Amino acid sequence: MNLRRDRLSMVLVTLAVAMLLTLIPLPAFVDPLRPYWVALVLIYWCLETQGLISLGLAFVVGLALDLLTGSLFGQHALSLVVLVYLVTRFRARIRFFPPWQQALSVLALLVNDRIILLWIMSLRGEPLPAIDFWAAPVVGTAIWPWLFLILDRYRGVMRQRSVT
Amino acid sequence: MVTGGSGAGTKFFGSTAQTARLMLYGLMAIVLMAMDHRGNYVPQVRSLAQHAVEPIYHVVEWPVEALHNLVAQFQSRRALRAENERLTRQLLAQQGGLQRLQTLEEENRRLRALFDGARNQPYEYRFAELVGVALDPFSHQVMIDRGSGDGVQRGQAVIDGHGVMGQVEDVQRHFSSVRLISDPSHALPVQINRSGLRTVAFGMGETDRLILPNVPREADVRQGDLVVTSGLGHRFPSGYPVAIVTVIDREEGRTFARVEATPLAALDRGREVLLISLPEDVGEPEEPGPAESPEVSAEAAAGEVQE
Repeated sequence: MNLRRDRLSMVLVTLAVAMLLTLIPLPAFVDPLRPYWVALVLIYWCLETQGLISLGLAFVVGLALDLLTGSLFGQHALSLVVLVYLVTRFRARIRFFPPWQQALSVLALLVNDRIILLWIMSLRGEPLPAIDFWAAPVVGTAIWPWLFLILDRYRGVMRQRSVT
Repeated sequence: MVTGGSGAGTKFFGSTAQTARLMLYGLMAIVLMAMDHRGNYVPQVRSLAQHAVEPIYHVVEWPVEALHNLVAQFQSRRALRAENERLTRQLLAQQGGLQRLQTLEEENRRLRALFDGARNQPYEYRFAELVGVALDPFSHQVMIDRGSGDGVQRGQAVIDGHGVMGQVEDVQRHFSSVRLISDPSHALPVQINRSGLRTVAFGMGETDRLILPNVPREADVRQGDLVVTSGLGHRFPSGYPVAIVTVIDREEGRTFARVEATPLAALDRGREVLLISLPEDVGEPEEPGPAESPEVSAEAAAGEVQE
């Protein structure tokens, strides 16, 4: 039980950092390239832990993100719930993929997420977004291996500390 | 591991239960989105909850602000002096223009007094800066660094040096969020400056285009016409520049021409803005003004975020 709590606090810390990264302003020309940090961090924890990231947690995190970024209330909640559902469903397979194949499945997840966003936007009657709308998933995929290593390192350090 | 339904013991039913949960949460999210979109309950709850997340904006803004200060520290004397000189020159040129404006304003006031027309109150401007927080790019909102502590009110008009930007939507203690005129659900009562034709400008979800959907096909509109606020609906004061007409499509057999305009305000890259405050309370801002022209009666809920 203690282990679970430690892990959960780790998840919350990394999610908080991801949210700050989402909010930090960037120059206008790199802004569309901003990866979906929260989704990447959630994918990592879904893959590496069993039964820790529930759909309810994804929903709450999504609502918090909606509140922070001023998007339509429920938009990120929906996208993260679908994402976590897909990752937990195919977890056994994605985990043992070689790295490049894992990155490809992350790309598929992020593109799928963009399609959901597109659907929401079309329901709201917004125009089709520009082509750089599709750049963010690619950037997210490129960042994925590095994020994976960093989070692994972080987890290792935290585990060491809890043992000693 | 006896931790909830997704543990090892419920493997057989696990995936069905998970799918059911997905459906449940998905449905909840969709209902929330629909309610937010239609403005039922959710926006009110949301603006309350936004007070709770305000400290996070401070945390994000702090390093950005520090970086700005650092850059300012290292900006060379020469660059500063050049900028100073440029600004002085600009100020002089604008003062020249203002002198003429003052006489015109005086003349205008006298003429209005002759006709016993509407009084023209002077507006007050308050300076505000955009906060260094990146919101969702599809939300058509920006944050400014003035809040209820500075007397900002919901519905106040926000302009920048070139034209109208939007209106204050949510007010927190030190921040408020501004709905931009490019939002597809934003309607702004405007008129063509040259001909006085009144209409409504809607956002299209793009920062460089507005649409004026109900301009009659034979109406007197030309490319390059200036679009200004008409002041109907009492939310935006009249006479502020909004956009320049760029596209007019008078298709045969249609009642209305398709008119598009480019906003003058730097919606996606501005940094300094002005908040306009009316010196006295002008009626109930939620109600449309009594003097609606026929072609705008339905839509001109006074720059009200609608739909």
